Amino acid sequence: MAGLDLPAWSEPFTGDRRAALAHLVPFPGVDREWAFGGADGSGVTVAIVDSGVERDHPAVGGSLVAGVRVDLVDGEPVVVDDPEGTDVFGHGTACAGIVHALAPAAELLSVRVLGADLRGKGVAFAAGLEWAIDHGATVANLSLSSKSERLFGLFHEIADRAYFANALLVCAANNVPGPSYPSLFSSVVSVAAHDVADPWVWFYNPSPPVEFGAHGVDVRVAWNDGGSTVATGNSFAAPHIAAIAALIRSKHPELTPFELKSLLAATANDARTVAGP
Amino acid sequence: MADLSERALELLREIALRAEAARRMEGGATEALLRSIVEATVTLFQAEAASIALHDPASDRLVFRVAAGEQGQGVVGVAIPPDKGIAGYVFSTGQSLALSDVQRDPRFGRGVAEQTGYVPRSIIAVPLVDEHGTVGVLEVLDKRDSSAFSLRDVELAGVFARQAAVAIRASRVERDVTALLATALASLAGAGAGAEAAAGAEEGAAAAAAELVSAALAGLDRDDESRLWALAERVARVRRADPAQLELVIDLLDVLARHAERSRTVRGSRRGRAED
Repeated sequence: MAGLDLPAWSEPFTGDRRAALAHLVPFPGVDREWAFGGADGSGVTVAIVDSGVERDHPAVGGSLVAGVRVDLVDGEPVVVDDPEGTDVFGHGTACAGIVHALAPAAELLSVRVLGADLRGKGVAFAAGLEWAIDHGATVANLSLSSKSERLFGLFHEIADRAYFANALLVCAANNVPGPSYPSLFSSVVSVAAHDVADPWVWFYNPSPPVEFGAHGVDVRVAWNDGGSTVATGNSFAAPHIAAIAALIRSKHPELTPFELKSLLAATANDARTVAGP
Repeated sequence: MADLSERALELLREIALRAEAARRMEGGATEALLRSIVEATVTLFQAEAASIALHDPASDRLVFRVAAGEQGQGVVGVAIPPDKGIAGYVFSTGQSLALSDVQRDPRFGRGVAEQTGYVPRSIIAVPLVDEHGTVGVLEVLDKRDSSAFSLRDVELAGVFARQAAVAIRASRVERDVTALLATALASLAGAGAGAEAAAGAEEGAAAAAAELVSAALAGLDRDDESRLWALAERVARVRRADPAQLELVIDLLDVLARHAERSRTVRGSRRGRAED
C-alpha cells in the first residue's frame, strides 16, 4: 500500500508511519488538564452540518437543541425548522453521538444539508452554516466537502466568514486525489483517521494539509432509527476533534479559532509513545 | 472564402465521422472495463460482491451498472435515490466510509437488500470522482476472511474507484466530441448571424454557416444507415473475439483491402485507356 500513490491523508497517523510525527508544539505550562480538565462542553454550541440528527436517539442524550434543514426554493436557500430531527442517512446522528460522548453538556444544532435535492448545492451549505453561526454555534463539524472548482470561491468565503465570526470549522479530510473544499483550507481544522482504538488519542501532523488524526477506525457509532453500527472513515474522526475543541472552548470561552487550533496541537498525543492498534 | 469554408467543412466532416465511428466501435467497452474493475476488486478483497453505481442525471438516481462476486449480480440495474443508503451518503458527501456489524441493525440498507436478495455484514463505499464532482460509487461487500474492512481497505478501494472514474471520463470525452462539434458549429453559425446583423451586409453569410452546420451534422446522424456504420458495428463485434480469431479477421481484412486496391487500380487503368 505504501508504494502506491495514494492520497492517503490517514497514512501519517497509522501504523509504523506514526513514529515520524515527532513534532511537539512547545507551549510550556499547557497540558490537557489546563486546556480542558473538568470541562464538559457546557456553554458551547456545536453545529452538526450533515444528514440531520435523530433527536430521540439515546446516543444523542437529549443534547439536540434545534434542528433545521435547508430547502432550495427557485434556487434560493431557505432554512426550514425541522423539529422531527430527521436523519436521512444515519451519519449525522453518528457524528452527534461522538460529540455527545466526549462533551456531554455541549448543546447541539443539527443543520441538514444533505438530501436528493440538495446535493452539490453549495449555496444551501452556505446558508445552513450561516444559520448555525447566527444561532450561536462556535464549533461546527463538517463531514462533507466538494471538489467543484465552481464552489471554491463560495466555500472560501464561508470558511473566512466562520473564522472571523469566531466559529471553528472541523472538517473531515477527503481521501480523493486533488483539492477538496473546505477541508483543505488553512483556516479550518482538517481531520483524518488514526487506527488507535481510543477516542482521547489524537495526533498533530506538522505536514499539512491534513493537520490532525483522530479515532476513525472501527468506531462504534449511533445510526438511524435508534440503531448503531461500527464505522471507519475520516468523517468519524472529525467529530472527535470537534468535541475536544468544544471542551477547550467550554473552559476558555474567549479563545479564537487559531488559538483553539494551537491548543489542539499543543495537547495532541506524542506519537512516539502511543502503542499501535 | 468559398475555398476556405469548403476545406473547413471537409475537415469538420472528417472529425465528425471519426468521432461517430469511434463511438460506434466503442460498443460497451466502458461497461467491460468497469466490469473488469469490480472483478479485480472482488478478487483482491476476497469479497462476496463489488459493484459500481453511476448517477443518472436525467432520473436523478444512482443506477448499479456492473457487479461481480457470488452475491453481486442481483444489484445490476437497481436504481436508488441519491438520498438513500450508504451509496447515497457517499455520493452526496464524497466521503469514503466502511461499516461493519451491519446486520445488528436490521433496518440498515434493507431497501436495497430487499431488491437484491443480499444483506451484507460489512461494506465499503467510496466515491467515483472526476473533475466535475462525484459521478458514482464503488461498493465492496463482505470480506470472506474478516468481519470488517480496515482503513487501508478503504484507501485501496479508492484506487479502484480512481480507475473507474478514469474509464467513465474517457467514455464521456468520446461522447462529448460529437456534442462539442455540434455546439461549436451551431455557435459558429450564431456568431456569423450576429456579425451579419452588426455589419448589415453579406446576406449569404448566415445561410452559408447554417448550410455548413447541417452538412457537417449529417455525418453525425446516428440513424444514418451508411455502409461505414455497418462496417464499424461489425468491427465492434469482432473486438470480443479471442486473439486467434482476431488474427484471422485481420488477415481476411488485409486480403480484402488488397483486392479492393487492385480492382480500383485495374478499373482506373481501363478508364484511362478508354479516355486515350
